[in-house]
Amino acid sequence: MQPFNMRPDQLAEEMLDYSRKLGKGVENLLNADKIDAGVTPKVEVYREDKLRLYRYESPADVVQSSVPTLIVYALVNRPYMTDLQENRSTVRNLLAAGQDVYLVDWGYPDEADRALTMDDYINGYLDRCVDVIRKRHKLDKINLLGICQGGAFSLCYTSMHPDKVKNLVTMVTPVDFKTPDNMLSAWVQHMDIDLLIDTLGNVPGELLNWTFLSLKPFSLTGQKYLSMVDVLEDEDKLKNFLRMEKWIFDSPDQAGETFRQFTKDFYQQNGFLEGGVKIGDRQVDLKNITCPVLNIYAEQDHLVPPDASRALRDLTGSKDYTELSFPGGHIGIYVSGKAQKEVPPAIGKWLDERTK
Amino acid sequence: MSESAFWNEDWMKIQQSYWENWTNMSRKAMGMEPPKSPLENAMDHWWQAVSPSASDLSRDFMGKMMEQTKSYFRLAEGYFSNAQDSNNWLDAANRTVADMQSLFSNSLEGVYNGTEFAGDDAMHKMMAFWEMPMDNWQRMVSSLSLMPGDLLRNIPHQDGLERFLSAPGLGYMREEEGQYKKLTHAVVNYQRNLGEYMKFFSSLGLLAANRMKEKVQEVAESGQQIDSARGLYDLWVSSSEEVYGEQVMTPEYAKIHGSLVNSLMKLKQRLGHVVDETLGGLNMPTRRELRTLQDRLQESRREAKAMRAEIELLKEQMIELRSMATTQPKPAVEEVTAKPKATAKKRATPKKKAAIKKAQPKADAS
Repeated sequence: MQPFNMRPDQLAEEMLDYSRKLGKGVENLLNADKIDAGVTPKVEVYREDKLRLYRYESPADVVQSSVPTLIVYALVNRPYMTDLQENRSTVRNLLAAGQDVYLVDWGYPDEADRALTMDDYINGYLDRCVDVIRKRHKLDKINLLGICQGGAFSLCYTSMHPDKVKNLVTMVTPVDFKTPDNMLSAWVQHMDIDLLIDTLGNVPGELLNWTFLSLKPFSLTGQKYLSMVDVLEDEDKLKNFLRMEKWIFDSPDQAGETFRQFTKDFYQQNGFLEGGVKIGDRQVDLKNITCPVLNIYAEQDHLVPPDASRALRDLTGSKDYTELSFPGGHIGIYVSGKAQKEVPPAIGKWLDERTK
Repeated sequence: MSESAFWNEDWMKIQQSYWENWTNMSRKAMGMEPPKSPLENAMDHWWQAVSPSASDLSRDFMGKMMEQTKSYFRLAEGYFSNAQDSNNWLDAANRTVADMQSLFSNSLEGVYNGTEFAGDDAMHKMMAFWEMPMDNWQRMVSSLSLMPGDLLRNIPHQDGLERFLSAPGLGYMREEEGQYKKLTHAVVNYQRNLGEYMKFFSSLGLLAANRMKEKVQEVAESGQQIDSARGLYDLWVSSSEEVYGEQVMTPEYAKIHGSLVNSLMKLKQRLGHVVDETLGGLNMPTRRELRTLQDRLQESRREAKAMRAEIELLKEQMIELRSMATTQPKPAVEEVTAKPKATAKKRATPKKKAAIKKAQPKADAS
């Protein structure tokens, strides 16, 4: 059968329709200069250097869990992905599920933060945030919810401070960094990380943007802008699109020394599986994690492939390990309507069952 | 006339009229030569009018979209120009893929000859689609450097130059000369690796064109039809993405990628040395010195934070001890009155101990 059914007049009609959408929508685009993100009211409860620790305000009609949950986001990109807009907010849905939610915002490191190490981030900043929350609630242990690289940090933290973590939730977290489908890992194997950090100091956000766009260059740098024309006329949908666009390119620089250790120990040495990771003067051994663990991964994740996350199941010392998969991508797990209906309530239920 | 009215009415009228005319021409042109790149002319014209009034965010954003829009319709234009000469779709598709392959071969030769293809036909511009990974790289390099990203792209690398650079320097300026030779060597090395990277992508374009052909064949066999330029464009994107995804996971690419990044870093490091030398000569702080200070400062802050935490802990322990002391049951009245005696006893205790201590040697001696 003839696979093409395109005539010049049809093509012209398609172009006209395209132009019509563009013409009507461009006014929305030209006016869309301020993009808001981070919608749920929150209070700053602790600050140190560029770090801020926030506590989100719970709805008045919801009974809060007695054990608070601290969200540990990655150093890459900004944590407002978890609270992007009213109908796309993991934070809001966790609150609705009765959780008392805190979040660490690492801020934007600059050249003066170049010497911050993983020890400074995990045994320093993160540990002090955990202590602040423990003290506020007069508790020995709290819940941790780590996202992506923040999940890897949470695993390291829990293995080194098991006495302070009641339940651990990891979301789209890389554990096995050398699965055959991990593009980032394949690319970094021949990179001289010491040369990179000694030269650049901090790792610029632009370098990370380039790396992430290079994972799917044709879809991420081209095709999606054509798809945008379809939503250009709808002001709300356009704002949603631009909000995502802002988040994607809002990439903080990475503190050089932390990037050095994280990339070498995990992407090159696959430290969770192979061992040998030392942070400060402590060894990271996932067998030290004995608290309940909920490991959530996305089935179509092109950044952290499912196998990279699922590897956790045999590595911890926990006798209460649960997996939850979601049919979506690395970002979709936070922003898709389906994910919002399913994932935060499931986390809330899992935590409640282990908090009573 | 308000800006809003222009967008909503006048501009749309112009567009409507333009496309209606073009549609009529296209209909008449079945079997005749089609209008040359009407879309691109319209888009360029439109964008020139719009872009000055757009905010930075919108301008950048729309600029990206314009490029994609052109790619999107160029693909259909490329197919149409072949379809007009043939009644057989397979023949037209084959010719389109052959055009793609030919253009990729030309651009590959251009990379090495420094004479990249200068044609402006729709098909060639569509091929520029495969320069997107390269373009991303150039943008990133530009953002890290004062130099434009493509400054080094077309510098020919010559064995003679490398041989000259490897000759040892002589005389009073040998160290400085050595620095500049190392810098030039880094430039040549980076340029060579950049060429390897471009060569890799040029060969992928050929593979993607073949994958596209296979996909068109699959569409024909499945009984489905591609009925829009967008459908054709999406097929091209998925073909390109598939081939790209397979090839960049190969050990060959991992080496090319690693070499490209490493050679750029070596070049930047050499530039950093030269800048530091100059700053040092002007008696200004160098990057090297600043980093030493940053390391030392961070170490001091780490120690200060640890000490502060220890002090806090000690304070808490003291408060705890005090509260324990104050919450202990009060002694009975008799004991209170007997306190001076107890004090006397306490005072006596050291003497007792001393006596014991003193007594010990005697005991030992005995």
